[in-house]
This record gives sequence, structure tokens and C-alpha cells, in this order.
Amino acid sequence: MNLIIISALSGVVMMFSGLFVKNNRTISYIATALIIFLSLATMCELGAKSWFNIPQAEAMLRTSVYGKLIGVILTIATTFYFVLSGKDIERVGKHVADYYALMFFVLAGAGILLSFQNLLMLFLGVEILTIPLFILTGAQKQNLKSNEASLKYFLMGAFSTGIMLMGIVLIYGAMGSFDLSVIGKKAQFATPIHGANLMGLLLLLASMAFKVSAAPFHFWTPDVYDGAPTVFTSFMATIVKVAAVVAFIRLFEGSMEPFHTSKWQILVSILIACTLLVGNITAVFQQSVKRMLAYSSISQAGYMLFAVFAFNAFGKEGITIYGLSYSLATIGIFSVLSKMQDITFDGFNGLARQYPGIAFALTVFVLSLAGIPLTGGFLGKFYMISAGAASNSSYTWLFILAILCAAVSVYYYFRIIQAMYFKERVSDTPVFEVPVSKAFPILLIVVAALIILIGINPQILLQYLYF
Amino acid sequence: MYLLDALSTPAQYLPIAIQFAFGVLFVAGMIAISHFLGPKRNTSDKLDTFESGIEQIGNARQPMAIKYFLVAILFVLFDVEVIFFYPYALNFKSLGWEGFAAVCMFVTFFFAGFFYIYKKGALKWED
Amino acid sequence: MPINYYIFLAIILFCIGVTGVLTRRNAIIIFMCIELMLNSVNLLLVAFSKMHHARALAAGAANTTAGIEAQLFVFFIMVVAAAEVAVGLAIIVMMYRNTHSVDINFLNRLKN
Repeated sequence: MNLIIISALSGVVMMFSGLFVKNNRTISYIATALIIFLSLATMCELGAKSWFNIPQAEAMLRTSVYGKLIGVILTIATTFYFVLSGKDIERVGKHVADYYALMFFVLAGAGILLSFQNLLMLFLGVEILTIPLFILTGAQKQNLKSNEASLKYFLMGAFSTGIMLMGIVLIYGAMGSFDLSVIGKKAQFATPIHGANLMGLLLLLASMAFKVSAAPFHFWTPDVYDGAPTVFTSFMATIVKVAAVVAFIRLFEGSMEPFHTSKWQILVSILIACTLLVGNITAVFQQSVKRMLAYSSISQAGYMLFAVFAFNAFGKEGITIYGLSYSLATIGIFSVLSKMQDITFDGFNGLARQYPGIAFALTVFVLSLAGIPLTGGFLGKFYMISAGAASNSSYTWLFILAILCAAVSVYYYFRIIQAMYFKERVSDTPVFEVPVSKAFPILLIVVAALIILIGINPQILLQYLYF
Repeated sequence: MYLLDALSTPAQYLPIAIQFAFGVLFVAGMIAISHFLGPKRNTSDKLDTFESGIEQIGNARQPMAIKYFLVAILFVLFDVEVIFFYPYALNFKSLGWEGFAAVCMFVTFFFAGFFYIYKKGALKWED
Repeated sequence: MPINYYIFLAIILFCIGVTGVLTRRNAIIIFMCIELMLNSVNLLLVAFSKMHHARALAAGAANTTAGIEAQLFVFFIMVVAAAEVAVGLAIIVMMYRNTHSVDINFLNRLKN
């Protein structure tokens, strides 16, 4: 509850700070202070009880240890995001405080998605998560690309919400309740599965696949990520995506337990295979690093979906590691990218000579995304695939495909490293639009060190799952 | 189960189908007859948009002031929020003071939003 | 009236909405189709609410509140849809001011 209430209040505070504070830098400092407070609050909730005791809300929101831990991860990632990209957020437009406020509201929606117990809360959480994102995507009001991305995102998002609602209603019609535990109990006795219930589950699956941008429901993702202001793409591709994946798991692990038959795994394995193939193969042909990262985020979602395939402890541990290492690495790359003049691969040419610190940190991020050992990304992928193998080892083709796709991803990720270290800079234009501060490379290296720390010793994170 | 049972037999729908077909054919036929038989005199007055006999002025698709649009949107938002008062009004007595406090909190957030748009200048009509 | 009628009506409305979203090219009309989808869901929710209530009554539970949660759900859908309308119309107006069109065929700047 801490995450939901405090982030919503922080959002209101940010809205009003925009009215009374005129200096953008001060606004960023206020937002950073609030997010640090928020992450401390979520950590407190992980260790002890929640600050807010609302017994009436039990039927709607029920936080598990797992949800709390993901909440901590999301807020920590957001903290790094605010610190690394604060200056870029200030450059997007005039309403800086409002952007921060919207991001706090997104976090509130994520908090609801991590703990919903009722399908009503799933709906509200998804809406609170996405409606601010429509606005953030269109934040550059004069930029046609940003306009277009936000309109597309809005239409597609509202459409998928309609589908989700139809799914919820059909399940309600068959089961007579919105409560996940009640649905789960009733579903155990309803064999064979009721027609309306089955239809509802399929519609819910489709709409959730839409939200996490799994193929074949991914087509909005590259356009939206490409058109949105680069700083906000970073937020959407990391924090929002992890929250959506966790909501996906939470939705289908309780109520749909009786549904976890061989048929379920066939369905999800097709979803995963499509996602991995589409994400990786199209990413190979991209010239813009931003668009390449958009496609690669699709394929990363494919790995995270192994938790939906498996529904075991391995999968949950994997999502924890994957969520943090993927979020940090992507936030790091985007924080550099949003400062750059040229966001194609050529823009990275010769970066290592001018900024060795930044280049080193970027290398670690890229290695982690590609899943090279000793980084968090490797362990994440390892956990996810072994979760799948532990639950049903007959899907050998899927695991081999996942490993092959990881190998393909090495190609396009390493093009960044190649450009930074092995190519000369031809043009005289500076790498960055704005001069980077002295602290920026140090912060990036801290983030990189964190990723390596997770990769070497994941227990520092996982021990909290078994508090 | 209860949900999808008791489907009527298709034969019972036959009169409805006939009526449907008759309706469609009738309308299509009338339109076709009036199209072929009716005289065609196209004068400029006739092709004009009918506005109760008053001569039309300008184009209807003129851009309107964005102020109006903003106020309309804000109206929609604040208008719909009142929906939550209906369940509260039904349970006014049984919810007691605790319910009243909850609704007061809701209204406070409401006013925070109102204060925000007021301060942002969204309600200013004159520049 | 049997519940089936409501289910069929709601599903037909929903399908009209889906078809409209997939085939129409005008952003406003797509938006209206999405609203149609949401409203068909509302209709179905109210019908199911009544159905579950009647069923609980028939099972012998006097003063039952079964089915009430679906009606509350309708309220939430309405409010959230209003919030979505506000944001969506703002986005469409922003688009219109820049391109003087609401045709989504214009939306191809991101393809290349």
C-alpha cells in the first residue's frame, strides 16, 4: 500500500510544485527527493508492515512479498532514471513538473498492478498505468512524430482495454465474482471449462499480451517507442513493461490454476516463440539505435514471458533479477541516447576515445542486455529458461529457440560496442547535444557495477523473496 | 449451464427473417423508384444546406476557440466523477461518519484538481 | 427476458465496435467505436448483475447483495472512459492542429 498511496500523493505534490516553483532544476530535485522517499517507503514495507492499515481494502488489494519486492525494484529503477535523465526530462517541454507528476501516477498504477486481488483493480491499474503514458508520449506537442505515436498508442491502448473488459465480463458471467481467489476456487470444480469462461480467458490473454507487447500483438510498440521523446521511451520500455509482466503473472497464476494444462503451455509457447523471433530478427535490420532498442525490448519481454509459461518459483526469481538488470541497463543506455545528437549507430562512433567512462558503462549495459555471463542479464535469461525447463521439459525446441535468439541479439547489441571502440569519428559535430556533467559517467558506472553485482551474487536480491 | 442454455429453435425466427427481408426490399425498392422516376432539377438554392430558411453564413467547419474545447473536456471529467456520489447517497446512513470522511477525502482530491486547473489558467476566457 | 438476449445484443455491439476500429480510418470514428465496445461491456455487466442477483435469490438467500459489484464496475468503467475521452480528444485536437486532418492514414511518418 505504501507504493500506491505515497506515489499518488507525490504526483499531486509534483502537480502543485509546478505551479509554485518556476525553476526546472528545483522541480527535478523535488521529484528526486520524493522518489527516494518512495523507494525507502517501499523498502520499509518489505521489511515490516505497511504504514497504512486499511483492512477494508483486503478484498481489492493484497500485497505479497513478491509484489513488494518488485515494487522496491521499480522504485529503485525509477530513482536511477530520475537521477540519470532528469536533465533530459527538463528539455522535453515546458511542463516539467507535470511530466514528473504523470510518472508518479504511472508508479501508482504499477503499485495497483502488483497487488490486485480483484479484476476491478486490474482494470483500474492498467488504466492508471497507461493513460499518463499517452500524455507522456505526446509531450512534444510540435513534433509530428510524437503526436502520431501518442495517437497510435492511445487508439491501440483503448482498444485493448475494451477487449480486456469484455474478457473480465465474460469471466464474471460464468463465475459470478470478480475476486481472483473466488474465481480460482470455482474454476477447480468447473471441468470441462465453461465456454464463456474460456472466451474470457482468451480475451484477457490477448489484451495482456498487448500490454506487454508480445507478438503478434506487438505492432504498436516500435512506432510508439520510436515516436515518443527518448527519455520517456526509456521509462515505458522498462518500468512500465516490468509492471505489466508481473500483472500478467499475477492474473493468470491464481484464478487460472485449473487452466494450466498442456493447452495453456502450447498457447504461451507460441506467444513466446513469436515474440522472440519477431523482436530479434527485426532488430537486426534497424539503423536507429532507438528503434533497435524498441524491437529488442519486445524480445526481452519474450524472455520475461517464460514466467507465464512456467508459474514456478524459478520464474518469479527470474523476473526479479531480469526486471532489475534489464531496467537498469536500458535506462542507462537511454540516458546516454537521449543526450546524443545522432541516434543511429554512427552516432556512437569513437565515443570510447572521448568519453571512456561512459563507453565502459555502456559496454556493461549492452553485455547485460545480450546476456553475457557475469552480468545480471545473463542470470535473468538463465533463470527464465530454466524455469521453463523445470515446469515442462518437453518443450526443448522453445528453449533452444530462446538460446539461439540470445545469440542473434549479440549481433545487434555488439554493433554499439563496435561503433564505440573500433570506429573513428568522421564528422566534427559533438557527440552530445548538451555538455554532460562530471557526475554523469560516475553514476553510469555505479549502475553498471550494480548490474555486475547482481550477476555475480543474485542472492542479495533473492533473499528478500523468502523473508 | 444457466448462461447459454434454452436457445430457441431456428424455425421460430422465420417470421422475423421474412419481415427483415421485406423491410430491406421495401426500402431499397422505394429509393430505387424515386431515383428513376423523380424529376431532377438542381438549382443552387436546392443544393444548399437547409438551415430553416435562413441563408447560410460561411463554413460550419471553422476552427473554434480552443478555450471552449478545454472547458468542455474539464466539464466531462468533473461531471462524471459525480457518479461516485450515487452509491454513497444510497448508503448514507449505514456508512456513518467513516464513510463521510472517505467522501470528504474524495472531494478534497477533487478540489485539488480544480485548484490546479484554475491556477494553470485553463478556465481563463480572456487572454 | 432470458439473459441470452442481452448477451447476444452486447456481443453484437462489441463486434460492431471491433470491426469499426479495424476498418475505419477516421480517428474520431475509431474513438466512437471504442466507446461502443465499452458501452456494450457496461450493458452486459448490468445484465449479469441482475442474473446473479436473481440466482442468489432463487437459491434462498434473502437480502443478498450478489451482483452489486458488477453495477459498481459499470461506474468505474464510465469514469475511466471519461478520463480516457479527455486525454484522447486532447491528443486528437493536438494532431489536428498540426496536420489539419484526423485521418489515420496520415500516420506513416514512423514507418521509415
